[in-house]
Amino acid sequence: MRGVSLNILLAIVWTLFVGEFSLRELVIGMLLGFAILSIFPLSLGTGNYVGRALALVRFVLFFARELTVANIQVALWALRPRPPLHPMIIAYPLRLRGDNGQTVLAATITLMPGSVAMGFNPERSVLYAHVIGLESPGAARASLKKVEDALLPLYGQGVAPAPAALEENA
Amino acid sequence: MNDFNAARDIPILLGAFFVLTAAIGLIRFPDLYSRLHASSKLITLGSAGIFIGVGLEFAQTEALTRLAAVLLFQFLTTPLSAYLIAQAAYLRGLEPLLEGPDEWNALGKAALLDERLEETGGR
Repeated sequence: MRGVSLNILLAIVWTLFVGEFSLRELVIGMLLGFAILSIFPLSLGTGNYVGRALALVRFVLFFARELTVANIQVALWALRPRPPLHPMIIAYPLRLRGDNGQTVLAATITLMPGSVAMGFNPERSVLYAHVIGLESPGAARASLKKVEDALLPLYGQGVAPAPAALEENA
Repeated sequence: MNDFNAARDIPILLGAFFVLTAAIGLIRFPDLYSRLHASSKLITLGSAGIFIGVGLEFAQTEALTRLAAVLLFQFLTTPLSAYLIAQAAYLRGLEPLLEGPDEWNALGKAALLDERLEETGGR
């Protein structure tokens, strides 16, 4: 939280410097502030903010690609004569813990190729999903695992290790 | 009618195409659960394409920030409603049309339904 607020504060300071408060200058200020935070993570006490922000950007790009693939796939199935749906319901054992991460995971796989989230078990350790277009439950679990891997750096309970470039400054 | 603007019209046409295929998929897919695939994924990207095209048409900060907010909530709410519809249908006993396994088996289903009925007082 400290990292985000410092970054926003630096962006506002930047708009004061250039004397123009606009969306464009705020974005430039955010990027410059992010550069400062990535150089001085220890003296500013922002922890792993930079690593998590980069993981977020990676996740958004991954998500955009998967959503596009999913749309083209389902659009083709809707148009072709006999779509190879092969529907099944699979159980996926979760490594991700915590409400926020599991909510984002369920929402993401609903927008991904072939899967719609259907529910959790009462212990919240298994996610049930309706899957179409894949041959076996194993293949479906492998595609869900890709999403969970992308989300673990953002919602994992342990602190992810800092990037190598930052270790050298320490 | 000759003012074709590629940056504006191509996203809108792509979005309209995906919304159209969503409608076709809704009719052609065999059961509720398969139809949710069409409605959730295709409607999300389809409406995103239309919103992006509209945003580029106006190209003003006010329009862009509002469209960004609309898009954000679209991405948050569409999967949520698909999840709730699928879960409600399954727990109320609507049999899915399956060619593969059902790993969320009937036993777990009955237990969850009992729990849900207790929570809601049988409603």
